[in-house]
Amino acid sequence: MAARRKAPRARTKAAREFVSEVEEILERLRSDLADLADERARGALDPERTNRLFRSAHTLKGLSGMFGLDEVTQLAHHLEDILDGLRLGRLGPDAPALDLLDESVEWIASLLTQLGEAGALDAPPQGLQQLIDRIREKLEASPRPATSTSLAGLEESVLRALTEYEEHRLHENLRLGRCLLLVEQSFPMLAFEEGLAELTRAVRDAGEVISTLPAPGGSPEAEIRFSLLAASELDDPAARVRLEVPQAEVRVLREAAGGTPAAGASSAERSATPPPPSPAAPAELESLKSISDTVRVDIRKLDEVMNLVGELVIQRGALGALATRLRADPATARAGAELAGLHKHIDRKLQDLQAGVLEARMVPMRQVFEKLSRVVRRLRRDSGKEVKLEIRGGDTELDKLLVEELVDPLMHVVRNAFDHAIETPDERSAAGKPREGCIRLEAFQRGHHVVVRVSDDGRGIDTDAILARAIADGSVGTDAHLSRKEVLDLVFQPGLSTSAEVSATSGRGVGMDIVRENAAALGGSVGIESEPGAGTSISLTLPITLAIIQALAVRVGSQRFAVPLTSVLETLQISPAEIQHSQGRELLRLRGEPLWLRRVHAEFELPPPAPDANLAVVVVALGDARVGLLVDQLEEQQDAVIKPIQGPIGSVRGIAGATDLGARGTVLVMDVAALAEDTLRRREVA
Amino acid sequence: MHDVLIVEDSSTMRSLVVSSLEELGGDLKMTEAPSGFEALRLLPRRRFHLVVTDINMPDINGLELVSFIKGNPAYRDIPLLVISTEGSERDRTKALELGADAYLVKPFDPEALRIIARDLLDRAPRE
Repeated sequence: MAARRKAPRARTKAAREFVSEVEEILERLRSDLADLADERARGALDPERTNRLFRSAHTLKGLSGMFGLDEVTQLAHHLEDILDGLRLGRLGPDAPALDLLDESVEWIASLLTQLGEAGALDAPPQGLQQLIDRIREKLEASPRPATSTSLAGLEESVLRALTEYEEHRLHENLRLGRCLLLVEQSFPMLAFEEGLAELTRAVRDAGEVISTLPAPGGSPEAEIRFSLLAASELDDPAARVRLEVPQAEVRVLREAAGGTPAAGASSAERSATPPPPSPAAPAELESLKSISDTVRVDIRKLDEVMNLVGELVIQRGALGALATRLRADPATARAGAELAGLHKHIDRKLQDLQAGVLEARMVPMRQVFEKLSRVVRRLRRDSGKEVKLEIRGGDTELDKLLVEELVDPLMHVVRNAFDHAIETPDERSAAGKPREGCIRLEAFQRGHHVVVRVSDDGRGIDTDAILARAIADGSVGTDAHLSRKEVLDLVFQPGLSTSAEVSATSGRGVGMDIVRENAAALGGSVGIESEPGAGTSISLTLPITLAIIQALAVRVGSQRFAVPLTSVLETLQISPAEIQHSQGRELLRLRGEPLWLRRVHAEFELPPPAPDANLAVVVVALGDARVGLLVDQLEEQQDAVIKPIQGPIGSVRGIAGATDLGARGTVLVMDVAALAEDTLRRREVA
Repeated sequence: MHDVLIVEDSSTMRSLVVSSLEELGGDLKMTEAPSGFEALRLLPRRRFHLVVTDINMPDINGLELVSFIKGNPAYRDIPLLVISTEGSERDRTKALELGADAYLVKPFDPEALRIIARDLLDRAPRE
């Protein structure tokens, strides 16, 4: 069977995702099956759950099919059949059916483990065929009931886009004599989610939402109209929905059939007495139940906790300020001192809490390095190049979200090193180097940052070729005098070269602009060093976590902004006379080096400061480059939690989000990377 | 430059579609939407030249998305390919009735996907 299993090279990313996605699906299946058993014991199945179970099996079948895992696909297909029978009411949720479901899921888990370890199954596993036969028998014994309800009188437009399952739910609800409603409402195309969620909630309160059909609104470019087809047991569901959402149009498509519908049961099984406890799982399956003291937590839940901690940290600041105020007044000094003591205590505990939650989000870089070393092993196999991989600092920990976002850019850098930087063994011998090349991955902590570095001992970057190319495509003038470092930096310019030919000869890869972009999006930066003939090293510097940041509050006109402290190199106070002009741009001499300036007030259309007023400069880093942001005044450093902002301001360039700075209320957080990048780009244009 | 929107709730399947299409070369820009709602959010924000969608998804299903795109004068010219796991004949017929331009069954052959996509991209209206 191994022969049928093909692994085209383009599939690597997908193959990585396959493993984790399948794990998630199995977990979801197990938890939904457990809930299904509970529901059955209580005699009321949630159609939404059986449908979700079906969808999980369906996805599993599709995925394993794409990877040629025939046994898994086959079993997932049978699992899907049982679940389809359940959700379409063809099959009663009796104990044997639930057992078959449980067993199928455990079999799939076990098959995947075996495939993961051995890469192939030597022989069809014993017992698998018996399970499949039992499923077949079960399905054959449960003939499909004819759908008896008529859909006459219902509008074609409503029925057209129903899936088979939705159609089944429609029939089922009609069979039970429920009232059928169509609830419609238009929303702005660019912001429909919240309104739709509210509408859906209101309709769900009245009954079951069978389908949600989007359609163009009155003005097709600007509006979207949703039609919710719903069924309800209530006496007058339409009135109830109208009351909840007065803007919605509610129509009754079919009145409820008189009389009380039969206890909501779609099969005789449901009203039966609670089932006997299911027989113990076969011994061979027992071992599959994982025993572990680790809990997998949705990172979003950790985010929520982190947000709460962040808010507490901010409130704590206000408490400290209050204590100081109270102490300053002799009348309240005593209470102030007590409060200050309390504040200090809370402060310590909060720091512990913050550290604890942060720690829960941390994962070792080893996880990424292992993925990368698999890539290198495969590249080595495919290319015939001799390359060894050295890994250091795999224990360095980083925020889980950052780690995930790092995989792609690092993969890119490693591939570039392998494909373009490391020479062939013969070339290396000729250059007096060992035949075997070396790529080193290392991670280490530096202050509140983690540096992840990929270095190679390859040919190094041919700066002449890069410069020639940049001059040829006009991004650098013919008379430009660039230092070696400045030329190396061109590597990160978008679109400098996407030509494989240039990249192969210059020893630089393609897509480094994307790597820089990715790093900037994570609040980090990228640097490059290269020696001709000796090698190249690329370092990504990232904040340890994205969750809580130290922010510097600054004032521009009457507006306050927060600048993430991780991006701030230093701050200066200057008089306007110190500002120099060059090529129509403002700059400052800082220890002899030019620092390009950006006036923040102009960026956000705020009033300019008085011409003779002293100014503050926030020096920020973008990779190895520096930019000075000119603001009116610096305020203090504080903890801040960045929250994304919805609505039009969310998409303003230069704004990363909003944060709550305690007593100062909500302020906007500057997207330092975007502002600095624009400043540097303008300089290039000039 | 062609913009392709890939609507699929399975991240693995999205990657498979993306990597298959990447081999078409040219300058394809691929945007991934993990749900039907996300696709609805993206549609007015960019001019797409091809939409590839799954059927079985949470929130709105692929048929509902097809119905929306093909029923909307602003988007109906965008070629639309439905990829769904073999199973319901009825869903397939419905997709085509609702105006889907092509239908591909999972597991799909990447080459078949490329042939269909290339053909559909040739039909995409030019600005």
